[in-house]
Amino acid sequence: MLVSPGKGGQRIVCLNKAARAGGLSLGELLSNARSKVLDLQVCDADPTADADALRKLALWAMQYAPLVSVWDEASCVDGLFLDITGAAHLFGGEERLLADLQHRLRSFGLYPRLAIAGTAGAAWALARYGKRNGMIIPTAAEREGLEHLPLAALRLSEDVLAVLRRLGFRRCGELIDQPRAPFGARFDTGLLSRLDQALGRASEPLIPVVPPAIYRAEVQFLEPILHQEQVLEAARHLLDKLVQDLARDAVGARLIRLLLFKANGAAVSLNLGLAAPNRDALHIAQLIGLRLYRLHCEFETDFGFEAAALHVLSAEDMPDQQARLAIGAHTPEPAELAHLIDRLQHRLGAGAVRQLLAQESHIPERAVRHRKGFAAKASTNPSQTRHRAANAQRAGKSSLPCAEATCSLAWTGNGPAGARPLLLLPRPESADVVALVPEGPPRQFRWRGVRHQVAASDGPERIAPEWWRRTEEATRDYYVVEDTTGRRFWLFRAGLYGRETDTPQWFVHGVFG
Amino acid sequence: MSYPASTRAPSGPPQKGQPQRAGTPLPFQAPFPAGAETRVCGSSTARSGLGTEQSEPSFHPEEGTRVANLRRRIAKLETCVSRAAPSLLGLGVPEIHRHLPGPGLAGGVLHEVIAATPEETPAALSFLLALMCLALKPKPGLAVLVAAQRAFDQWGALYGHGLDRLGVDPGRLILVTARTDKEALWAIEETLRSRVRPAIVSGALASCPDLTASRRLNLAAAALAIPLTLACTEKSSGGSAAATRWRIGTLPASRDRFGTLLNPCWRVSLERCRHGRPGKWFVEWNHVAHRFSLVEGMADHPSAQSTGNLRIAG
Repeated sequence: MLVSPGKGGQRIVCLNKAARAGGLSLGELLSNARSKVLDLQVCDADPTADADALRKLALWAMQYAPLVSVWDEASCVDGLFLDITGAAHLFGGEERLLADLQHRLRSFGLYPRLAIAGTAGAAWALARYGKRNGMIIPTAAEREGLEHLPLAALRLSEDVLAVLRRLGFRRCGELIDQPRAPFGARFDTGLLSRLDQALGRASEPLIPVVPPAIYRAEVQFLEPILHQEQVLEAARHLLDKLVQDLARDAVGARLIRLLLFKANGAAVSLNLGLAAPNRDALHIAQLIGLRLYRLHCEFETDFGFEAAALHVLSAEDMPDQQARLAIGAHTPEPAELAHLIDRLQHRLGAGAVRQLLAQESHIPERAVRHRKGFAAKASTNPSQTRHRAANAQRAGKSSLPCAEATCSLAWTGNGPAGARPLLLLPRPESADVVALVPEGPPRQFRWRGVRHQVAASDGPERIAPEWWRRTEEATRDYYVVEDTTGRRFWLFRAGLYGRETDTPQWFVHGVFG
Repeated sequence: MSYPASTRAPSGPPQKGQPQRAGTPLPFQAPFPAGAETRVCGSSTARSGLGTEQSEPSFHPEEGTRVANLRRRIAKLETCVSRAAPSLLGLGVPEIHRHLPGPGLAGGVLHEVIAATPEETPAALSFLLALMCLALKPKPGLAVLVAAQRAFDQWGALYGHGLDRLGVDPGRLILVTARTDKEALWAIEETLRSRVRPAIVSGALASCPDLTASRRLNLAAAALAIPLTLACTEKSSGGSAAATRWRIGTLPASRDRFGTLLNPCWRVSLERCRHGRPGKWFVEWNHVAHRFSLVEGMADHPSAQSTGNLRIAG
């Protein structure tokens, strides 16, 4: 039995089964209880410890769903919401998920009541006042599920409940069919909004539990700091503290957040992603400097910052490496490349550094993909790949294409047979073309207001649309066209004359160098 | 972000003077101090060798080697910051090499590639990429291409298969996009100063860097001794510390015997060259063999030849 100080002395806030059997009830005075039951075990309630434990449980429950929220309205910390939208099938359906959750929580020594419903309010009501444990009601059937539950299932405050009881309402179903206007006038918005939330008529945002930063460092300033250099200096100071922790655990940071607290309590947050795990204080400080430089115009320092914090949100293993004895020319280390890419990305923007990947498609604009950052592949050095393939064969394995190779092809040898332009326009631009015959190569074309006389042309290279994509695209006939000044263009005629269209349109799609 | 007004404004006198100067052999652009000259030139024959070079372009082979030696020593004196041994990027065309101080483009200095007209920007860009291909061929390593958004935005984006067709392996290319020229220059310098050691660093800017910026790039490139090439749409109004400036114009592509387009050709003019002479050539880029070759004038251009053959056959 747990007690906490209340009106007129210590009152009971929590009971176990044995105490209930002894005729005790919640809210009773401790002195009365002692007179009813002689051998009482009494402890003081500790709400903060409860909240902490529930939060820990919520973090544990994140294995089931990405969004877990703690129910703590009016400090009755006694439940969790799990948003299992799209997550239930991972456990083999909703029933199995509930059974699994029940089993695991029981092994912790907890006796949970669980329910699944389409809305958070309905799930709350069913879990507490449902006929049995583990009820599941389908979406849009909240009304039927709630009809027979007591009014307390609507998450209402005590005085509202008392008034409703006085008016003669007992069950939720009686309330649902009532006209809304008199209730809106009589009660504050809490009643109707709770009803709507339970029935799915109003949305209810859940406040997710955020896993804490793994490593953190804070500093308070004697006087608010104003200048970029000072912020940088503070960040460097914090980094020096953090790096020792990172080095001790042999991990490197991947995601760092710098928080700067203003005098009015607001915080400026700066997220820094790193291309590779890193715990080089100098490098990270450099990145922060570059980011600050990029933000300098949007950065409002008003009255300065009076505290700063640095959190490591994501860390990865980074074993210590022997420093290389650098004599003469050395091959670039992957770390150096990652540092450079970090610096470029933080100064120029996240998408500034890109790599081109070949894709398996005949449609020119789909045959190349841009990827952010740069991942040096083993295939950059042909001799190395050959060596590896030979090794694999020696080991008796068939050289299976790795996962990387299936999504992107090697450049050499896999390209299309026809000519391809050096520069591809983001979207084909229409051109007025004069041709001798509708199916022939262009003789003259006008593009961007300039007329080009065609001196020579190569083609056509026919590229049909991909039938499995169900697009309305037409077949394209590509021509390489050279004008009289020697400039070369990549033109295509959309649509087969006579079969797909009677007036084929011409487009310029690329420029050769 | 706005560009400095001086670089955008079309320059008056220096550009006008350019074509006249281009025809005549240039004297040394950067006169070295007298003290350095006396230290370098050990004998009087060497000094006379220098003198003959200035007055007439053709010289004896022995004298040529001596002059080349001297040039190397002078270059060493001039770029005293160079820590690594300078490497040369051979173009494979002796006719062009004769105009350059060494057999190829010098490493550790800035080379500018300018389009003859803004419409010929794609040609300048592909010449730049051909140089990149030459630099990537002999040694492993990556190529970095820093492009300002305004540089060739109107012509679209670099296309992977087109790069592959030109001879550059897109898998070894890091593309860096910057919003402005200023940011692009920063990115180039940052890349050169990092310890990544790419095989070549190239840039594409809207306008060439001014004297200060190009000096900065020179200093940054000297530490690595890899060639640094920059393609620009327009020349800067002020001076430039670039070692060479190439002006690229379009030319009809070469044909194979069936009359289909084969290799890109360019009108290449070496406008300025420190320790070298300007010159003009018609150059063909063989994208399969990764080699430059000269096109012998327009009269016996392959396309003209093929039509002649056809007439004989008929």
